[in-house]
Amino acid sequence: MGRAVAIIGTGQTRHGRRQDVCYPDLVKEAVTAALEDAGLALKDIDGVVLGTMPSMMEGVSSTHFYFADAMGAFNKPVMKVETCGSTGQSIGHCGFYWVSSGMADIILVVGSEKMSEGDGQATMTTVFDPFFQRTFAAGAPGVFTMQSMEWMYRFRIPEEKGREAAALISVSNHDNAMNNPYAHIRTRVTVDDVKNARIITYPVRLLDVCPASDGACAVIFASEEKAKKICKKPAWIKGIGFRGEEFFYGESDKSIWMSATEAAKEAYRQAGIRNPLKELDVAEIYNPFTYQEMIFYECFGFCPRGEAPDYVLKGTFKKGGQLPCCPSGGTLCTNPIGATGLIRMAEAALQVTGKAGDRQVEGVKLALSHAMGGVDQFNGVTILGSRL
Amino acid sequence: MRRVAITHVAQSSGSESRESLMDFTYQVNKEVLDKAGLKREEVGCIIAGSADIFHSGLSCANAFDWDGIGAFMKEGSRAEESVFSFIYACMRIMSGYYDSVLVTALVKGSENPDNDPITSFYGDPFYLRPVGLNESSVAAMQMRQYMERYGISEEQCAKVAVKNLSNALFNPYAHVKKRVSLEDVMKSERVYDPLKALECAPKSDGVVSVLVAAEEKALKLTGKPVWLTGYGCSMDHFNPGDRDLLNGQLKSAAARAYKMAGIRDPRKKIDVAELCEPYAFQELLWCEQLGLCGEGEGGNMIDSGATQMDGELPVNPSGGVLATNPYPARGLYRVAEAALQIKGQAGEHQVSKKVKTALAHSTHGFGGQCHSVVILSA
Repeated sequence: MGRAVAIIGTGQTRHGRRQDVCYPDLVKEAVTAALEDAGLALKDIDGVVLGTMPSMMEGVSSTHFYFADAMGAFNKPVMKVETCGSTGQSIGHCGFYWVSSGMADIILVVGSEKMSEGDGQATMTTVFDPFFQRTFAAGAPGVFTMQSMEWMYRFRIPEEKGREAAALISVSNHDNAMNNPYAHIRTRVTVDDVKNARIITYPVRLLDVCPASDGACAVIFASEEKAKKICKKPAWIKGIGFRGEEFFYGESDKSIWMSATEAAKEAYRQAGIRNPLKELDVAEIYNPFTYQEMIFYECFGFCPRGEAPDYVLKGTFKKGGQLPCCPSGGTLCTNPIGATGLIRMAEAALQVTGKAGDRQVEGVKLALSHAMGGVDQFNGVTILGSRL
Repeated sequence: MRRVAITHVAQSSGSESRESLMDFTYQVNKEVLDKAGLKREEVGCIIAGSADIFHSGLSCANAFDWDGIGAFMKEGSRAEESVFSFIYACMRIMSGYYDSVLVTALVKGSENPDNDPITSFYGDPFYLRPVGLNESSVAAMQMRQYMERYGISEEQCAKVAVKNLSNALFNPYAHVKKRVSLEDVMKSERVYDPLKALECAPKSDGVVSVLVAAEEKALKLTGKPVWLTGYGCSMDHFNPGDRDLLNGQLKSAAARAYKMAGIRDPRKKIDVAELCEPYAFQELLWCEQLGLCGEGEGGNMIDSGATQMDGELPVNPSGGVLATNPYPARGLYRVAEAALQIKGQAGEHQVSKKVKTALAHSTHGFGGQCHSVVILSA
């Protein structure tokens, strides 16, 4: 295998509705924070990887041009990698391979989104093809609701039980976000609040759904040699996996969700993980919808198929449980899409290096980060560890 | 760093395809696998090179591309520019994680708006776009500057179109096939003064697949591997007004590529170059910045005939982007053509001299905001 690679610095913006800054300034805020965290200057960076959502969301196409100065890419090699919602993980993977290949020693990876200036749901509707699927599309909630119903039906999960578990997930994510100074939605909610919230698409209610956020995240990747020299506590990349399934939604079984299952398997194989529930100490899952988070638990092998609600009701995945999930408050409380997958990776890096502040989980050695993209089509997973 | 080679390439013709994008992609993808004698399952991972909604009518282009590029349930990713996707594939091999990677770049230009309205979206909505900047209008300003600073004539710029379109007649995959005279080019409509219609690239369909492999695997797959020996890329400032359009980042990208390849004198070392010249004069400017001729000597270079198919340093024997312009895929077309020249498999547009080292170049953005240079060797 190639060179070992570590994350040596992360930076996030204050996420939310950021009308105080223009889009490039938002990017710069994250880049500056990451450089400060790593104790580096722009001249130390060998190359820059950028990813955002597609042009329609950005209002500008090929955003690596627009952000060239904001991300400090002048006179540097760049890469532009995009895979829909899973972009955040994909750009992290690109940073990893760039360093691992030996073509560069230190790479800056940037993901960003300013959703308050675009139309997220309209953009997501254009992910569907114009001939067969687009006329049926109802943005993201329509798809994810369909998947949730498919999953509950397939595993004979009583609707009340699914509802109760999903509500608990919403409560624990919102509680966690209170500890995260970068989170967008910072309010406490109760199980009753969730159950009585406005319906978006049955059975998904307002508090089961992520917000549309403005935000950016920057992560600095370094080779083993550089990481050991520059950084006291690097977060080592232990395993990565990315899988995509068929484009047409109806062609695959989204309750089993092969891409999520296989992406995690590949990452586990590389990291030497056999029993994820026992071996992982924390997971940052891409959970724009509460129900979907439970499907991910099953795909990632945290529990048997169809039993996620039971594990949630037992408290396995909440703070203090066997495998705390989304101590940052997750995507459910902060979703600047192009940055979200990278925020998961940055949060996992903070956890394994003990730098997560109030949201730190005790003694984390191994963390999973994840993102999902397309119409339930893509999944990317990265495992980070405190030891090489 | 592991050595990486291109083992096989396949490309579609640039003319309008009757197939759906998915079928169109699949055919070229399958062709390269068949040439290599590999099944989809035997390839390590798959990288797409494609651009989203304005070039495909779909957001998140990788979603629709995924089936056609053979990536179902395979490790993979997508880069927005096709040479980025090529080098990303090479990185994955150098890292030791994969022994073979299939890169496919694709677009159906015939189903999308013209390049000018599409590239106008490179500009921000506040300052650049309202002024009417797009790739062509910025190129026109760049051309005017180039002619004035170095005393290059309009005829010298037009000669590039005559040469490249004439080369395209020998390339079965070229889109525009017509013999044009210097007079035809000079008399063609002025689209953005001083740019004339025949000096601007068309809008083409195009799918191109390149299979890259680690040394050991490459030697098993082909008797004629084409080695990646150099790569360089560089990004310029966003605002064209902040830049010297005649002194951009191509020098920097080329310097990186030459350093990696150990090339000190590109004029002697490079046997053939496939450049990305969506506007005729850019071939001359790029040649200067790549060090293939001196500063301001682009005009003399085309006059001397050195860049003709049978010249000392043939440039764009395939006809280049002036003949075939599948926008996001055009960079990988240059790489594929450079590889074919080294393999000696370019058919009727194979250059007469022996090709040991070839240069492939790609650029996108206003006036070449970003440049990538790839050096390939036998």
